[in-house]
Parts: sequence; C-alpha cells; structure tokens
Amino acid sequence: MSVSEHEPPVSAPEPGSWSGAVREWAVRTLPPEKALPDKQPTYVASWIYVFGVLSLSSLAVIILSGTILALKGPGWWHFTGIGHFFNSIHLWSVELFFFVMVVHLWGKYFMAAWRGRRKAVWITGAVTFLVAIPCALTGYVSQQNFDAQWISTQAKDAMNAVGIGSFFNLLNFGQMYSYHILLLPVAVVAIVFGHVLLVRKHGVVPPFHVASATPKASTDGSAPTDGKVSSPTDGNVSS
Amino acid sequence: MAAIFNLNHHASYVHWHFFQLSVSNLVVIVLMIIVFVAAILLPFPSHGIGGKS
Repeated sequence: MSVSEHEPPVSAPEPGSWSGAVREWAVRTLPPEKALPDKQPTYVASWIYVFGVLSLSSLAVIILSGTILALKGPGWWHFTGIGHFFNSIHLWSVELFFFVMVVHLWGKYFMAAWRGRRKAVWITGAVTFLVAIPCALTGYVSQQNFDAQWISTQAKDAMNAVGIGSFFNLLNFGQMYSYHILLLPVAVVAIVFGHVLLVRKHGVVPPFHVASATPKASTDGSAPTDGKVSSPTDGNVSS
Repeated sequence: MAAIFNLNHHASYVHWHFFQLSVSNLVVIVLMIIVFVAAILLPFPSHGIGGKS
C-alpha cells in the first residue's frame, strides 16, 4: 500500500459546490500549520505575551462556573456552602478576566499590535473588552438579592440619563438574565473565537526591533530570521 | 464563615476635584500597573529551549 493511499482526499472543489469552495477558502486563509502551530517565534518567550492566554483561561473558568450556577439556580448559590463557593469562583474569575485582559490590551497598545495588517486583530480584541463590560454588569443585576435591586435601579437611571433606557429594562430580571447567560456571553465567545483565528492567521505581533530588522516577520507571523534567531529549530520555542 | 476583610461599612473613596474613585478600584488599577511593568521587566523562564536572543 502506498503512502498516498493514507492521505485524505484533497481535491479541487466541484464547480458550483459551496461546501468545497468554503473548504478551499478556509484552508487557503488559515492552513492547518498556522491554525495549530507547534512552534512560536523566540520573542514570544516573554511574560507580556502570556496575558492573552490568561484571558482565555479566565474566560473558560467563567463559562464553566456560570454554567454550573445556571444549572443550580439562585437558591443554590445563595443558601448553600458549595453554591457560595461557585458563586465566588464565578465572580473572581470575572475579576481576573478583566485584570489580565486590561494588561493584555495595554501590552498590545504599546506594542502597536495593529502593525503588519493586524488591524482586525486589534479591533476584535478591543470590541471583546467593550462587549465584556455589559456582560459583567448584567451579572451584577442577576444576583437575585438586595444588592442586585439597588444596582439595577441605579443603572436604570444611568441608562435613562444617557438616552438608551428605552432599548432594555434593567428592572426586568428575565431580560437581564437572558442578556447575561446567553446573548452577551455568545457574543463575547464568538468575537474571542474570531480574534484567536485572526491571531493564528497573522501570527503574534513581533517587537519593534524585530519587525524593523525583518519586515517579513511583522506581516506573516513567521519567525524572525536575522542573526538573533537563525533557524527554525533554535529560532522557535514550543508552544 | 467570616470574610477576610470586613465589608460592612461604607466604601472609602479618593476625591480629587471632579474625579472620584473607590479605594478598592484604585488598588486594582495600581496592581495592574505593577503586573504590567513586571511582565515587561522580568525574565521569562526559557527551560533551555531556543533563546539565542
């Protein structure tokens, strides 16, 4: 049996086949070796590059703990010890998410991470931050306690004062809870997913001195090939 | 179980002209700045992989 018989059948799409055309476009846009790389450029070995994946990790804990809270309900998270524990996990993972996301944003801002045709990467990151804010705030009004009532009445006045109070009602628990556990989380996860795919496509942004030395690295995410990093074997670190 | 910090009192604020900020928010912002500076300055453990630069 020849080697070629083990290879998946990859062929040109049939004319008029939308699924084949989408497959061709997807593979051309984001080849598998870029979508799931096993090496990263040497300059990624810096603490400032860690905060993106810390944001993703925090988001995973938020989604997981939030799912458990949604399954069990307010009585559980208010009146049982284990419910209090998961409520705290959910709150503090959100605090951590915003903490590391802000440091990530600062790092990318001062690195001018929109360089090398990475405009969409920067925009999706910034939009994630903006969408995550109401996602968290609707959580405060979904607690089902006096604190939530106080916050929702204050927030209602704030929304009315800026002229957007007619679009939603912060005193409507059902509406706010739907926003908090469905609409806004889906939006955040979808934008984050697109953000990560764009990072994979373009590669992480190189530091200024690397980009100026090797313009190619700044645009296609490839490892720098100047004197500092000389070959794929010693120029990359495992991810 | 008692909380580590007693939160049963009014929040403390810093007030500077029109600008008002709770001390807890100020602490978080200062911590973020410290972590940001540390992330830039502290060496990253390489475990002997690559790392000519």
